Amino acid sequence: MIHFTLNGDPVQTELDPSTPLLWVVRDHFKLKGSKFGCGAGLCGACTMHVDGAAMKTCVTPIAAVANKSITTIEGLGTPEDLHPLQAAWHEHAVPQCGYCQSGQIMAAAALLDANPNPSSDEIDAAMAGNICRCGCYPRIKRAIQSVSENALAYDAMAQTEGRA
Amino acid sequence: MNTVNFSRRRFLQTSAITGGGLIVGFAMTGCSSTPAPLPVASTEGGWTPNAFLQVLPDNTIRFYTARSEMGQGVTTGLSTLVGEELDVNPLDMEIRLAGAHEDYVNPDFGMQGTGGSSSIHAHYLHLRQVGANTRALILEAASQDLGVSASSLSTDNGFVVHGGKRHPYADFIATAQTLNIEADAALKPASEFQYIGQETRRVDAIAKATGTAQFGIDVDVPGMHYAVVVRAPVARAKAESVNADSARSMPGVTDVLAIGTGVAVVAKSFWQAKQAAAKVEVQWESLPLASVSTETLRRDYSAALNAGDGVEGPVEGDIDAAMQSASTTHEAEYWAPLLSHSPMEPMNAVVRIEGDEADVWTGIQFPSAVPGLVSRVADIPAENVRFHQTYLGGGFGRRGTPSHLVEAAEIAKATGKPIQLVWTREDDVRHGPFRPASLMRIKAGVDEAGNLTAWDASRAGGDISPDTFRGLLPALYPWMGDSMVEGVANLSEWYFETFATDESSTEGLFEDYDQPNTRVTHMTVDHELPLTFWRAVGHSYSAFAKESMIDELAQAAGMDEVAFRLQNTQNSPRLNNVIRVAGERMANMRVPAGHHLGFAAHHSFRTDVAEIAEVSVENGKIRVHKVTCVLDCGQAVNPDIVRSQMEGGVIYGLTAALYGGLNLENGAIKESNFHDYPMLRMDESPEIEVVIIDSGTKPTGVGEPGLPPIAPAVANAVYKATGQRLRSLPLQLA
Repeated sequence: MIHFTLNGDPVQTELDPSTPLLWVVRDHFKLKGSKFGCGAGLCGACTMHVDGAAMKTCVTPIAAVANKSITTIEGLGTPEDLHPLQAAWHEHAVPQCGYCQSGQIMAAAALLDANPNPSSDEIDAAMAGNICRCGCYPRIKRAIQSVSENALAYDAMAQTEGRA
Repeated sequence: MNTVNFSRRRFLQTSAITGGGLIVGFAMTGCSSTPAPLPVASTEGGWTPNAFLQVLPDNTIRFYTARSEMGQGVTTGLSTLVGEELDVNPLDMEIRLAGAHEDYVNPDFGMQGTGGSSSIHAHYLHLRQVGANTRALILEAASQDLGVSASSLSTDNGFVVHGGKRHPYADFIATAQTLNIEADAALKPASEFQYIGQETRRVDAIAKATGTAQFGIDVDVPGMHYAVVVRAPVARAKAESVNADSARSMPGVTDVLAIGTGVAVVAKSFWQAKQAAAKVEVQWESLPLASVSTETLRRDYSAALNAGDGVEGPVEGDIDAAMQSASTTHEAEYWAPLLSHSPMEPMNAVVRIEGDEADVWTGIQFPSAVPGLVSRVADIPAENVRFHQTYLGGGFGRRGTPSHLVEAAEIAKATGKPIQLVWTREDDVRHGPFRPASLMRIKAGVDEAGNLTAWDASRAGGDISPDTFRGLLPALYPWMGDSMVEGVANLSEWYFETFATDESSTEGLFEDYDQPNTRVTHMTVDHELPLTFWRAVGHSYSAFAKESMIDELAQAAGMDEVAFRLQNTQNSPRLNNVIRVAGERMANMRVPAGHHLGFAAHHSFRTDVAEIAEVSVENGKIRVHKVTCVLDCGQAVNPDIVRSQMEGGVIYGLTAALYGGLNLENGAIKESNFHDYPMLRMDESPEIEVVIIDSGTKPTGVGEPGLPPIAPAVANAVYKATGQRLRSLPLQLA
């Protein structure tokens, strides 16, 4: 029996411990937002957060996430309560086919959590593990930058108003 | 292709009024006596005026998108067309993906298909008319219900406005469904457009940013089992013997069975099916293709070009005399390899067969094929097959081939279980169908004044139409037996080898310039590889040959690359104008030392595009820094989506130009996944600037036309940077 937290809820499973987290989340817990792209950790469509860090879950056995905290795209935000990155994805019309975007957003969210004001090169480096065949890269980058700029502006405003 | 020509006139004539409302649609073959019921949701107290729209009692306006959404933004584009004339903001509509029905045919194709960058062009007047006629019925109903003259009414985003009062459209649907429309309502002049041409958001962005958009692979039905197919390394080889003992003993495995394309392993989870599939041992039959390698393809194509006895395409003037009298002639040969589409969502389908009924869930470019194919496999009537369209996780032509659907249906039929069939990424890269490889040879002549006088172009390679026939015939003509389907497909192979050029084999190789003397020759060389449409189809390779050759000719004639193109495109004014605008931009570009600009232009899918690539070569590596894309696609229904399609076309084409190439060894594809079939990633993606020339004409294609110019634009820049003329894709420096 393996226990972990999935989007804040404690869960447990008796599945084979070598089963990749992606398939346990998709086929067993029925959260379909995280995608299968390559099965080899090469494209990032399956990216989730494991204890806050972006992980490629198609090659992460559930044994490796025992007692850890997992966040999927469903746990990041919802259509009614968008995460700032999801709002930016809408604002900048980022998605085309959309299939890779859950993974892109999870990778971007982990980046901004660790580094709220990344440089262009830092964004490139953090996002290089995520493939988009539709070619949304310029917009993904713009959307990430817009969130990081807003965050800075917000921080600056908070400091000016003495609310930091 | 066996297309039926549906003109706008024909469409308007067949707009019919039946029962309780307006039906705007098409009779696809004219042989069905009673129209099939529309595959739309039932609505309590709602109104379904036609196959595309529903007005619900709470004033929800629901729009059924007939074209497949594979990223090209068609849900946004088509809802904008209908919304413009219905007077409803597309972002306020509830978007549904349409099932299979004759009312949903693509007017450009005569069948329900999405491709050829056709959707906005095909539906530009059609869906506006649907919106306008529906609005006219609502206005007439409002006039009667309110007891006021229709001329005193206006509309605003789903409301009828009278005096200062706003009435939801839904207030009038009871009356509206008793009315008939006498004549098509007038369409708005462009000067009154509220949504067309505006920078609106995409209707699907929030669903796709929150993981809530449903793709085929996300479908989950009770009792569903998962299937993976063990496939022959050499295309079309049949299993001679199978040892599945260890696979059967793996956890979760319920069935192992032979199907048309290999050995299917069925399990309670995808992971179990995939693990077990690796344990299946198969002895495959030996086919002639097993002796073919990449070198064989190129050698056989070269031999065919040298032999020269192909099928003549367009021939104009006297090519030999023109070549003799030219002051400059130049000849070169260009190679483009086999490619995989590799959409991010691997191929998949869910099929459930219960009694004499079936449900099918998949994202597909040709819904017309679904009922026929599944009914054939399941041995049930086609009208008992319900098709549920999903979002497509990338198409690029790959989702026009329905073989995965046949596989899922075969497995569901044999096991009696609801089946989700999933191709692995390895299946996707190795098993095609592929973009055909091509060897192209062009010899051209220029006179002393810089006029292109002669263009002798030939191409050797496989044709995609026979495989397309093979895939679609059984669906479209269910009465054909398997042997007849195979016979017709073989007949089409023979036809293209002997009599006529498959249009997609040579398209784009000769049309854009003014040369008075032209000869096009095609040599079909068929190694029995499965082939199909790949984004921009023939243009994906022909533009590379044509625009590289034009650059070489300009240099040989001592002319500027833009001036040479301008001088020789006088008969194509829109292309000429795009070249002019792009050329002016290039003339004003200042680039850092070591950066070089390459130029290319191409007409495809009715659209004209020129691209300028800013390139440097560092340590033998080609780096593309910026791409400027200038296009004329007529009226840009959503300019931001036009830009995103150009960005996408450039990046998809750049991936192919820098990395794309599948290699054959003993008839099998060597590459298998993204480590050896690499994709462009964010850190290599150029800045892309898109310039839309608004010519105000009817919209033309945008899904594909951004792709063809990028490979030659980069190759032409690499020549300036290094002096090396790279004539093989992917571009690799010596």
